[in-house]
Amino acid sequence: MSDTLTRLRLWWQQLAAIMIKEGKQVVRDPSSWIIAVVLPLTFLFLFGFGISLDTTVVKIAMVREDGGRDALAFAAALTNSRWFLVVAASDRLSAERALQDQSVKAVIIIPAEFGRRLNAQNTTARVQVLVDGAEPNTANYVHGYVQAIWNGFLAARGREQGAAPAAAVSVEVRYWYNANAVSRWFLIPGSMTVIMTLLGTLLTSLVIAREYERGTLEALYATPLTRGQILIGKTLPYFLLAMVSMLVCVLTALLLFKLPLRGSFLALGLVSAVFLVPALGQGLLISVTMRTQMAAAQLGLMTGYMPAMMLSGFLFDIHSMPRWLQAITLAIPARYMNVSLQTVFLAGDLWSVLIPNMLFMLAVGALFFGLTWRRLHKRVD
Amino acid sequence: MLQRLSAIVRKELITMLRDPRARLSLIIPPIIQLFVFSSAATMEVKNIAVAVVDLDRGPYALDVQQRLGGSRSFTRLPRYASVAAARGALEREQVIGILVLPSAFSADLSAGRPASAQLLLDGRRSNAAQITAQYVSTIMAAEGAPLSGAPPQARTGGAGPAPPPNAELVIDNWFNPNLEYQWFMMPNLVGMLSLAVALMITALSVARERELGTFDQTLVSPATPIEIALGKLLPPLLVASVQATLYLLIVTLLYGVPFRGNLLVFYAAILTFAAACAGVGLFISSLVHTQQQAFLGAFAVLLPFALLSGFATPVENMPWWLQFVTTINPLAHMLRLMQGLFLKGASVASMAQDLVKLLEIALCTTAAAVLLFRRKAA
Repeated sequence: MSDTLTRLRLWWQQLAAIMIKEGKQVVRDPSSWIIAVVLPLTFLFLFGFGISLDTTVVKIAMVREDGGRDALAFAAALTNSRWFLVVAASDRLSAERALQDQSVKAVIIIPAEFGRRLNAQNTTARVQVLVDGAEPNTANYVHGYVQAIWNGFLAARGREQGAAPAAAVSVEVRYWYNANAVSRWFLIPGSMTVIMTLLGTLLTSLVIAREYERGTLEALYATPLTRGQILIGKTLPYFLLAMVSMLVCVLTALLLFKLPLRGSFLALGLVSAVFLVPALGQGLLISVTMRTQMAAAQLGLMTGYMPAMMLSGFLFDIHSMPRWLQAITLAIPARYMNVSLQTVFLAGDLWSVLIPNMLFMLAVGALFFGLTWRRLHKRVD
Repeated sequence: MLQRLSAIVRKELITMLRDPRARLSLIIPPIIQLFVFSSAATMEVKNIAVAVVDLDRGPYALDVQQRLGGSRSFTRLPRYASVAAARGALEREQVIGILVLPSAFSADLSAGRPASAQLLLDGRRSNAAQITAQYVSTIMAAEGAPLSGAPPQARTGGAGPAPPPNAELVIDNWFNPNLEYQWFMMPNLVGMLSLAVALMITALSVARERELGTFDQTLVSPATPIEIALGKLLPPLLVASVQATLYLLIVTLLYGVPFRGNLLVFYAAILTFAAACAGVGLFISSLVHTQQQAFLGAFAVLLPFALLSGFATPVENMPWWLQFVTTINPLAHMLRLMQGLFLKGASVASMAQDLVKLLEIALCTTAAAVLLFRRKAA
């Protein structure tokens, strides 16, 4: 009994020793503090202000070849709308040139005779809209806005002529969790996932590769430390570092970006801690696989950061991806983190959502740590 | 001078390409990323699942569901007895929204009264939710149109042609007629992937030499700091051009994205952009001591570059002060060039501005790096 206790104490002392060594290395390096505090703050700031899917004002060119009352009314409706910044173009050619040279997003042509054709019986008045389709998302917004202004123009004209509005089906749209459908509200939790991936995976991907490159890994193996102690000792300081920066991120989100926190701090902390298991595990696995920091950094970038940006549902909806790609996202821890954070911030502590996601993260994490464990062993002999 | 420079370049190329694994890692991963990310990066909403709570069970409510089911965008329309029952599916993200058809829906429509349905959407995915709302509204608006008397079953058979409208809005999409998201993403990925490679290679290669102590040897060699800097800049340019050629072939031949610009301008863009990125990388490496720091430094600029470039979200949506920052972001210029070259066939004159900006960035950052090296060498 006392024998086990002594061994346990020894094990703990050894672990503490390597943790103190790693911890000091992290704390004494001034860049660690930059990493833990300055970097997340800057990133969150940039994410919060820089990324927005809420189209604000689109610059368009208008060619008006008709000076009549109807043409002027439609032109005024465009100019007065808060969606467009309208620049008048003298002729079609110059407007089309502007569209091609990327200075406007759309060209609206109100042709000559517009008013006459509109008021005559058997003719059709056409307004031509040329949209820059290169960026489909903005193009779709422009479609919607122009169509809405056009419908408004026709309705106003109809009312003047005394036509009764048609009865129709209306759809009353309500957004749960995010009543105004502000894109920032779902992008900021996603940004936190990216930042945590950066800290968890990318930094740890260098730790063992660095010792290997400098030749200090053999010295580490010569110590009585077991594999488990090395793994824990190497990861725990980064775990704490990441948790600190998570706290910084959360406070910024709440205080600066006024994100609601409908769940609890407890759930937030739990989810973050659980996410760090696969994130750190992935970093360590890369670190023991690659022998140089350069290669480790590249692999970390490719398998950690890029998927967290592109495949986690942060920017691009996972459900819209092709099926084979959806299957790949199942192995990406950032995906589960993203849903969990969005849920805790916007919806609350929905444990029926959080627990399965956390289990998936732990499963992926166990896989990474298991593989690291095996590879680390091979290296010793 | 040329002799010394070529010696340095040769040395750099040998370090970079000596290892066959390293050679492969410069080619294979970028191509895999191009394939995977171009399929991932779409703002289109597909495979939509919406829960339906049909409290009406009348002919019009059935018709709505048939129309939704007939649309390509909707793949699943699971039915639930009540909103409370559907709520769990929404929470677990199995459906993006819940469409509630109220009990008087068909009665109102048959009587010629306006009817309304309720759509509850998941605000956690607000972009996809908004697009879903657009789709549903369009389909429902069509429901209202032929409601004057005829029951929906009769209508599907022999609806007469609608009277010709005497006013029409004709919308044409230039450059990308079907608004294919991949056409937008592919040229952007060419810029994005070159950025990561050029920046990382230069930033880490100097830092590694520093860590291993070989950088001091280079500094005491007869090569001048300018030659050392150029020696570090040229290999990434070479790698970037080789990769860009591969991207160009894949994007145009395999994915059918048009290339409407000038091939010379394309390579000029790639070279100036790679020089600008490598310049930034060099500047970072002149500030740091270890590879880990270089890596972080590279990252600290990589992420803002990517975000503030129009890669994922349009520059026009940003506040003005961030739009100003995009003018010193090489990727923002590069993306404009790529869009101009691939899709738009923009005039050389309009693209020259971006090329000049890239050159300026390359010169400034390299000059700053050389100054810092020189100080360290002294």
